[in-house]
Amino acid sequence: MEGWIIALIVIGVLLLVVLVWFIATMNNLRQLKVKVKEAESGIDVALTKRFDTLSKMVETVKGYTKHEAKTFENVVKWRQNMPDELTVKQKEEFMEKMNQIQSDINVVVENYPDLKAEKVFTNLQRGIADVEEHLQASRRMFNANVSRLNSRIVTFPTSIVAAKINMEKYPFFEAEPAKRQDVKMEF
Amino acid sequence: MKEGLQGHQERKRRAERVILLGLPVLALGILGAVLGTAETFGDWAVTAGAILIVFAVLLFVIGFVLFQRFESNFKHEFLKDYLSGLVEEGEFVPKKGFKKIQGLDPGDVYNTEFIERADRFYSYDYFRGKIDGVDFVSSDVKLQRIEYETYRDKDGRMKRRKKYVTYFHGRVFHFDFNKDFTGNVLVLERYKPQTRRKYSKVEFESVDFNKKFRTLATNEHTAFYILTPHFMESLMKIEKNHPGNLGFSFIDNKLYFAIHTGKPTFSVRPFRRLDEKLLEKFREDVGLIHNLVDDLKLNRKIFKED
Repeated sequence: MEGWIIALIVIGVLLLVVLVWFIATMNNLRQLKVKVKEAESGIDVALTKRFDTLSKMVETVKGYTKHEAKTFENVVKWRQNMPDELTVKQKEEFMEKMNQIQSDINVVVENYPDLKAEKVFTNLQRGIADVEEHLQASRRMFNANVSRLNSRIVTFPTSIVAAKINMEKYPFFEAEPAKRQDVKMEF
Repeated sequence: MKEGLQGHQERKRRAERVILLGLPVLALGILGAVLGTAETFGDWAVTAGAILIVFAVLLFVIGFVLFQRFESNFKHEFLKDYLSGLVEEGEFVPKKGFKKIQGLDPGDVYNTEFIERADRFYSYDYFRGKIDGVDFVSSDVKLQRIEYETYRDKDGRMKRRKKYVTYFHGRVFHFDFNKDFTGNVLVLERYKPQTRRKYSKVEFESVDFNKKFRTLATNEHTAFYILTPHFMESLMKIEKNHPGNLGFSFIDNKLYFAIHTGKPTFSVRPFRRLDEKLLEKFREDVGLIHNLVDDLKLNRKIFKED
């Protein structure tokens, strides 16, 4: 066989290998991105659940103090002015606002022991503790997936594929130092 | 209780004395058989030696039967009350285990979804109770599978023989879990999933945890929900004391835990002292259940309605 034919076959095989690798890497990155998106929607669900439970709690404490209801109304207004789909940064902000309301409610509970004894309120507190756990789980799952995706994006040679398909590093759902502390639940 | 312990110690010594008596008789028997080969002594020495060897074997058998009887009495008369008293609503039943005939199914072991089905199933020393309001059930389990080995007989022909190999010997626990969850999660060290259910690997943010345990889940979110950073830390702590032998599964709002120790948990061995030190060891074994409840915070009921 002529030398140039062999060279052509070798080049062809090499190109095919590169192409297969490129497609496999591209699919892998896209799958990771889908996982990140799924995890992000988990955060959305948990945030919405927390918002709903908090609104019920605010409704219960309304009889004891007007301040929390006012704060909550402000959060509702803030949310209404935001697009349906929040960015990660906006979600962090939303969580922080809810943390604030939660802390305020805890202060009210401290000042009104009758409230602590109310069955409805206790159930809501139990509910919010669970929602909180789900939110933490979603946040950790999101960050774990983001970490995996980001490290693939910056690692050579996957970084070449990532750049070709315009895939960029994803932001983490970070809690600032003040927010990192668990919201204290009083029972 | 101490007097009771001494009484059992005496019974144990009696059994051990019979076993010990067998040793010089066996030695004499062997001596007789060896001397019988010399012309001076002749056949009568061989016959006497053989009789002595048979007598020694008989003494060993009697000794071990007596020892087993002692152990059974010890467990029923002493350990039953002793262990039952260590936990709330405690119940220790030496002969009972995860056995179908006694109302508990071997399925309770296979429900862990990581313990392989056995060809021979043994279960004993059933122990249940409540710690800080958390119900638990546990039992020693010994599982064996059939394996075939090939060998050459004296004529040089290849043959195959069956043997039973122990692949799990330890304790299996069930706990009520304090969170409601959907899907199943397995946290494994030395085991593999034994189910057709579709599990996917879960990687946590803790590199150390990922190195120690292989986590598989039918729902990734549930794995993160159950395995909080504190929970993972506690599992690592438990693993430190029992390296390489643990398996956890979270199924149907229950926590299954298996620990392979390679030996029975509440057993008394011949020629080992039966004293406070041994009871202390038993207390430590029960302490493991306390640690699980405390470290894993299974007693925190804030996520479930009463």
